[in-house]
Amino acid sequence: MKVTFPHLGSMHIFCKAIAETAGIPYIVPPETSRHTLALGVLHSNECICLPFKIILGNFIEALRMGADTIVMVGSGPPCRLGLYDLVQKVILEDMGLHYRWLTIPPRLSWQAVWKNYEETKELKKELSPRNFFLFPYGLWMGWKKMMACEGLEQQAMGVRPREINKGETQRRLKEALVGVDEAKTPRTLEEAVRKGKSLLQGVEQDRSRIPFKVAIVGELYTVMDPYINRGVEQKLGELGIEATRTSWFSTHIMRSVRRRHLSERVRFLEASKTYLGYDVGAECNVSIGEAILRSKEGYDGVVHLMPFACMPETTASGILTQVGKDWNIPILTLILDEQEIEGRIQTLLEAFVEMLEWKRRAA
Amino acid sequence: MEEKGRIGIPRALMFYRWFPFWGTFFEALGWKVIVSDGMRKKEKIVYFEDSCLPMKMLVTHAVQLRDRVDYLFIPRLVSLHQTYIMCPKFRGTPDIVRLATEGKVPVIDETIDLRKGRNSYRESFTEIGKGLGASKNESMKAFKEAEKSFSQFKSEWMERVNGLPTGQLFEMEIPTPCVGRKLPWRVAFIGHPYNLFDVDINKDTLALMKSLGMEIVTPDLLSEEEFNRQISDLSKEIYWSSGREIVGSLFHFLSGGVDGVVFLTSFKCGIDALLQEFIKRRLKVRGGVPIPLLILSFDEHAGREGLTTRLEAFRDVIEQRKAEDT
Repeated sequence: MKVTFPHLGSMHIFCKAIAETAGIPYIVPPETSRHTLALGVLHSNECICLPFKIILGNFIEALRMGADTIVMVGSGPPCRLGLYDLVQKVILEDMGLHYRWLTIPPRLSWQAVWKNYEETKELKKELSPRNFFLFPYGLWMGWKKMMACEGLEQQAMGVRPREINKGETQRRLKEALVGVDEAKTPRTLEEAVRKGKSLLQGVEQDRSRIPFKVAIVGELYTVMDPYINRGVEQKLGELGIEATRTSWFSTHIMRSVRRRHLSERVRFLEASKTYLGYDVGAECNVSIGEAILRSKEGYDGVVHLMPFACMPETTASGILTQVGKDWNIPILTLILDEQEIEGRIQTLLEAFVEMLEWKRRAA
Repeated sequence: MEEKGRIGIPRALMFYRWFPFWGTFFEALGWKVIVSDGMRKKEKIVYFEDSCLPMKMLVTHAVQLRDRVDYLFIPRLVSLHQTYIMCPKFRGTPDIVRLATEGKVPVIDETIDLRKGRNSYRESFTEIGKGLGASKNESMKAFKEAEKSFSQFKSEWMERVNGLPTGQLFEMEIPTPCVGRKLPWRVAFIGHPYNLFDVDINKDTLALMKSLGMEIVTPDLLSEEEFNRQISDLSKEIYWSSGREIVGSLFHFLSGGVDGVVFLTSFKCGIDALLQEFIKRRLKVRGGVPIPLLILSFDEHAGREGLTTRLEAFRDVIEQRKAEDT
């Protein structure tokens, strides 16, 4: 048995840590690239959303490298994400690739438990008692690593706009993340985190600069994965903007595990009520609510990310135009698809920043 | 009865299934129902958001009605089935329309969610009646009348589809004609109702098919159980009611009973894009089907020539298959 999982930002560090610690053989799909996307595009059609294509590409690459068991987080209605597995299974079957599928249920219910039992019946035979014994420890390690990654990324978002040598933060962040990824025990992990933090602190900074504050909102996949959004977060930072986001892998996990964590989401949903009278699903209402609240908090702008033809976010983008007018906050919607639009995104972001500068000067 | 005012219903989205119900309800309450005209030659599509074609049509029709009515009826259709839901875009339609019409006309945006219970459809309409100043009894009476007219309409549906021009299907005052002529081929016509019967979206494919000698069959004939039977073995349940209808009826018709199947989708329809891939792949994995299947995807092109060519070719394939069989 060789387990594999899709890429999503630094999620592979989390998954890898679980498998590694529990002693389960795994294959990390090659880093998402042009080739991954090309595979996904080739085996789906033009109006399916971008995350579908990238995940499919990841799976194809991993299966060709010898993986045989796909682990994928399940999801539910109303957005298309909930039916990815139904379609991807048929596509892989049609391509003649052999795989087994294991769904991690998004919510705990008896159907989910039953499905999980059905799917793991065969798999369990290939695991040793040691694997089972170590699994909870693996989960814990994975969680620790993920929190460490997110902490470092958040720190980098704060440092980046003030850096003197462009690109230095990103370089050091990468180094720090590799350190976290390579840590094998809780002690080395702690060491790696400490080292990573001081690495980022060591970036030469111009502390007199007052950066603009911009919130990144939108569909979770496009917000979280730097390959899909062509490094919007990094680009904004290097243009001298302090970007923030509330969409992290851990927040989405916490949301399905614990209700208390919903409070922030509830706040966003509440704020979107004047524009949208019903929960459309996925991140639609959150995008709108977050844009409104950030504007109240004095943010300078909002960048809204969505995949082409995404059903909930299309609704959000229509409404966000009005939100921008009503709250006098510049909102830039970037629709991401399979085209190579890195250069265009750079130009759009530069223009956006210039606009923010004019606005600040006029005020 | 004197008229209380005018209610506008855009000729878009679920109008193409539920208008007989909605129209009768408002008329029974004493309101005049005004339906938008659709795109005449010179009208332009209103681009409020970068959405799918049917959604753009809704906005266009609503803007058209804006100055002519006292209320716009844009229900928030969350679910029209006890278990399954509608496309998520439907949940935001009243809000989108309100912004697109710049709040110039009040919107009746009652939420319709049949998952809440058996009576929730009636309750929603009682609420709508209340908002229009009708008593509960009046609303109930109107609801019963609407139900009657709706089931009457449904029972005559196949004759209407085959006997009337597409533009007149939903003109309630036009009686259902008798279809005497027998056409050589039976073809199933599958898709979302607003893609199938909106001539602005599909350039009147229906008329073209009829003129090529095809008798039309729509999924409305099939029962809920049949859909469920066809898709009961999927690894995951499809949770959009329209998606279930499309996949279920496609598999049903492809297993026999018709000479060909035409599946209509519009560009950027999320549900269709995903399910279309599923359908194609599954048919391929299962070794193909003997019945010809044509998938037509529509966008804003105005020309009909490409469509005509493809339908004629499709007809030829059907003809050939039939000749081989006999």
